Amino acid sequence: MVKEIERAGIPVVHICTVVPISLTVGANRIVPAVAIPHPLGNPALEPKDEKALRRKLVEKCLKALTIEVEGQTVFED
Amino acid sequence: MRLELGNIFIKNVKFGESTKIEDSILHINKEELLAAVGGDEHIKSIDVELAHPGEEIRITPVKDVIEPRVKVEGPGGIFPGMLSKVDTVGTGRTHALKNIAVVTAGKIVGFQEGIIDMTGPGAEYTPFSKLHNIVVVAEPADGIKQHEHEAAVRTIGLKAAQFLGEFAKNIEPDEVKYYETEPLLESVAKYPDLPKVGYVYMLQTQGLLHDTYVYGVDAKKIVPTLLYPTETMDGAIVSGNCVSACDKNPTYVHQNNSIIEDLYEKHGKEINFVGVIITNENVYLADKERSSNWTAKLTRYLGLDGVIVSQEGFGNPDTDLIMNCKKIENEGIKTVIVTDEYAGRDGASQSLADADAKADAVVTNGNANEVIVLPPMKKIIGSTEYVDVIAGGFDGSLRTDGSIEVEIQAITGATNETGFVKLSSKGY
Repeated sequence: MVKEIERAGIPVVHICTVVPISLTVGANRIVPAVAIPHPLGNPALEPKDEKALRRKLVEKCLKALTIEVEGQTVFED
Repeated sequence: MRLELGNIFIKNVKFGESTKIEDSILHINKEELLAAVGGDEHIKSIDVELAHPGEEIRITPVKDVIEPRVKVEGPGGIFPGMLSKVDTVGTGRTHALKNIAVVTAGKIVGFQEGIIDMTGPGAEYTPFSKLHNIVVVAEPADGIKQHEHEAAVRTIGLKAAQFLGEFAKNIEPDEVKYYETEPLLESVAKYPDLPKVGYVYMLQTQGLLHDTYVYGVDAKKIVPTLLYPTETMDGAIVSGNCVSACDKNPTYVHQNNSIIEDLYEKHGKEINFVGVIITNENVYLADKERSSNWTAKLTRYLGLDGVIVSQEGFGNPDTDLIMNCKKIENEGIKTVIVTDEYAGRDGASQSLADADAKADAVVTNGNANEVIVLPPMKKIIGSTEYVDVIAGGFDGSLRTDGSIEVEIQAITGATNETGFVKLSSKGY
């Protein structure tokens, strides 16, 4: 899906826990997720802290969309 | 570490007045067995049924398969850290009841439990159709949580195997096998000319009912470590897995790991089998990186020349497998990986979720997406009501005549990644 959307000319950020798989399938902008059973959150955190974590993740992705990349790029912290 | 394994070949299992082994026949007093395994507040009812090879019986949903064993000499007891104290096992003498197994069934825990057919085309795919199975059907109390249900049924299965194993203690085995692994430096000194080979044993530890226990420790909390291979034969590793039936390792496979058996077969002749490195398959990327780093570190530290890596399960563990392979190869050590495939029903899709050019020696145990039709059986132990929702099943899997159309993924042990299967692969 990442590749098809990009083929249509729209940049995509792939949020993915297992970054090596994302690299294998060919995503260009990769943001590491939290964990496989809960990629976008962390049930171990207090609701307030989890919300902050989620917001940070989304903001990181939005920023990644604005950055020109040459080849596959993983956006670490 | 040296273990004598006394194999007692059981010809038949029957219910009887008292529990005993006589003339290679296991007689079970049902009440005695139920008393030995019962008493868990999370379980509403337990029943025991027998399923023999060739009978028109379907067992489902199958959780675990366990071989009854007993420690006869040496420290510790069977299933250390689970039922016995945590003494280090793997030395002395152990007796195993061959040709039989305890199978746990009953209301489904998760969605990834299996089918064992005792006859017909399905029986060809599961190694457990050839055993006399003592099926423990445990039904959960109302309102219990899934993980309590899983733990309760797991313990009942282990207890049943322990109870039956005790009756093998004073029986003269039909065959005694010896397995010995010396401490590393002694082993290397003893076989200076043989290549040093190790086994990297990946354990399913994704959590959420996808867990494995080592001496009672939840293996997702370990860092890779070393075992003498004989420790596995005394039940040091126990399955707590509700993972796809075809390629999880039931406890029976941990007790009878065929890679370990085969490496021992060649030990001291063609190779020096120096030991087992256990590692996990966790759901955090940092854990995957750390565990594969440590696995590679240990292989180098042991001075290995060659490594066999076996996987458990599929999907994201494919990444653990490839990371292990790549990093061990990068240490200059020849590596073979043992896996299975999810290549689609036509076999045309990519087989693993991850890949690397270093994975140039691969043994596969079959394509789990292959579809099979299982004919109706006269007797069902457990229930077929879950067939549409288990992994490998789909809406309409269970047909009105009782036949089942499923991917072989749903058959317990069908593509087991230690090679404990009948399927094999061939290069063209």
